[in-house]
Amino acid sequence: MRGIRGSLVALLLLSVGLLPGTAQANLVFVLNSGEASISLLDAARREQIRRIPVLREPHHLVLTPDGRSLVVGDSAGNELLFFDPATGELQRRERISNPYHLDFSPDGRWLVIASLRRGQIDIYEAPGEDGGLRLVRRHRFPHMPSHMAFSPDSRTVYLTLQGAGRVVAISLETMEVLWQAEVGPEPAGILWHRGQLIVGIMGRDHFAVLDPELRQVVRTIPIGRGAHAIFAAPGGQVLWATSRVDSRVAAIDPESLRVLQVFEIPGGPDCLAFDAEGRVWMTLRWVGRVGRLDPETGQVETIRVGRSPHGIFVHWPRGAEGPAAPPSAQR
Amino acid sequence: MKALEILEEAYDALLGRLFEDAVQPALYALGLMHWSESAFEWIEFSLFGLLSIVVSYAVCRPLEAWRPVEAVRDRRAIRTDIVYTLLSRLGLLPILAFVLLSFLKIHWEGLVADAGVIPPTLETLLPWLRDWPLLAFLLYVVVLDFGEYWRHRFQHMFRWWWALHSIHHAQRQMTFWTDNRNHVIDDAIAALWFSGLAVLIGVPPAQFPLILLILTVIESLSHANARLHFGRVGERLIVSPRFHRVHHGELSAGEKGRNYAVLFPVWDLLFGTADFDSRTPARTGDPDGPEALATGGWLRQQTEGLRYLMRSIARPRRSGGSQPSGTD
Repeated sequence: MRGIRGSLVALLLLSVGLLPGTAQANLVFVLNSGEASISLLDAARREQIRRIPVLREPHHLVLTPDGRSLVVGDSAGNELLFFDPATGELQRRERISNPYHLDFSPDGRWLVIASLRRGQIDIYEAPGEDGGLRLVRRHRFPHMPSHMAFSPDSRTVYLTLQGAGRVVAISLETMEVLWQAEVGPEPAGILWHRGQLIVGIMGRDHFAVLDPELRQVVRTIPIGRGAHAIFAAPGGQVLWATSRVDSRVAAIDPESLRVLQVFEIPGGPDCLAFDAEGRVWMTLRWVGRVGRLDPETGQVETIRVGRSPHGIFVHWPRGAEGPAAPPSAQR
Repeated sequence: MKALEILEEAYDALLGRLFEDAVQPALYALGLMHWSESAFEWIEFSLFGLLSIVVSYAVCRPLEAWRPVEAVRDRRAIRTDIVYTLLSRLGLLPILAFVLLSFLKIHWEGLVADAGVIPPTLETLLPWLRDWPLLAFLLYVVVLDFGEYWRHRFQHMFRWWWALHSIHHAQRQMTFWTDNRNHVIDDAIAALWFSGLAVLIGVPPAQFPLILLILTVIESLSHANARLHFGRVGERLIVSPRFHRVHHGELSAGEKGRNYAVLFPVWDLLFGTADFDSRTPARTGDPDGPEALATGGWLRQQTEGLRYLMRSIARPRRSGGSQPSGTD
């Protein structure tokens, strides 16, 4: 009797798409920066199901705070594209100046956009019901502003300045620059982690841990030459970092910041995303592919996409995400 | 389709290996990792240059062997043209200019963005083009080809520019290798012209090498030593070896030029410079130009071309013509 009841419950959950791992197919969005397109992959079948043309050069993407839209920045095309993350349907476009890297503040109030080539850091009011963006403040930094991270209280945004070897902190209360700190040559990815900032030092073989109070690098985490970007896995159990010259993906213990495991993955791993089964998806920048790493077995499968794939996003079907693992953590 | 995918995969694998094993470690050692994405594009463009040579050879050489217009008399002259081709297509002047101009454009756009303006592209001006990427691509080719027609006309029209361009017309043993036989200054101007227009109309960077590949292969074919006629309609659609050989005929040098089009003869039809009637001329070359431009090696032609340019600027215009007189 219990078996029959269990099956009925499972059938019911399946019918409303709430059963983890067995619901609708996961969609994976891959931004082909060298080919002016977005590859839409079926994660289960591990194949491309659609290629969406964009204007010029899509690099990074972010989920809106309400989870209803996936925002893609087409930097050379001067456009933001809003997609339904579940279906890949285009919702709307917004003309905007050179959006390279972009992210929402944790309180959802601000959308910060960095323009690497144009040397701009733009702070917008996040799109409201009418969908429009309003530029609140533009800072000019002729030092290739690149990736960004926020303090959890949404008071400060931190950006790496690739050409200057520094991190800049900007207040989201006054919109003024608070300070700049030296971190090492050519910093790229940056992550807020337990009161500190972890920064990929692309011109070196390590990540730098920057204390925002002291404004000093307090330690380093050796990964491999060309340390690039770092991401927290959903639930925060592991930090994952990439190095582009030595072509590695490394798992880092979030407590001790010790490297737990290193995976050698040719192709220049760049941005990462995580699926509901705990696998790590990555863009392999120099070989036109994405990789899917199973950390349990160390096995890597690759799927062909467009040229120079950069940003990546894995959509989780309804019910797949637990309370500790919101999809927005995949940014 | 499968074969194309295999080729594309092989190309990407080669590109990836080249970049990961050679270029990126060098950038890291030099502290230039923040240029890695641009360097990757540059390597891709270089490979395209090599690919364009291979494709041009595969298309043109069999045609030249099948139906030559004339017997090969001067292999040395052809060898000089091969040097030109290697230097030009692997030297990547057009690509470098495109990259440089892209940076200028980015800074210019930054200033414009501060004024609240976002520069347009063909697709933002004509939004329906977003749904027709192939048509958009063809439109970009048409606009660029129109620009090339006028650059070519100006090369024949202006006295100083003809002095540079006459190296190209001096070849008496014209083959598909002749396409890149140009003075380096002329190449630099051409690169700025072509790339400037490409940036101005917002050509997507990913499409630029493909446009370049199509143009270079057709330009190579148009110079081929092949008795090839595309028929009454075809001759008016795409530049043929016959059409372009008329342009290179001895009687068509300098201001007397005809058939300037690079890809689409429609521009010659529109602007009254088309000649669809003449037969394939037996002789090509510029009888008024310095002898060294025809028979010298690469270096000799370059230095003599520079002198020719200086003379054309220094000497007053002769009545009845715009060309500097040849002295060699």
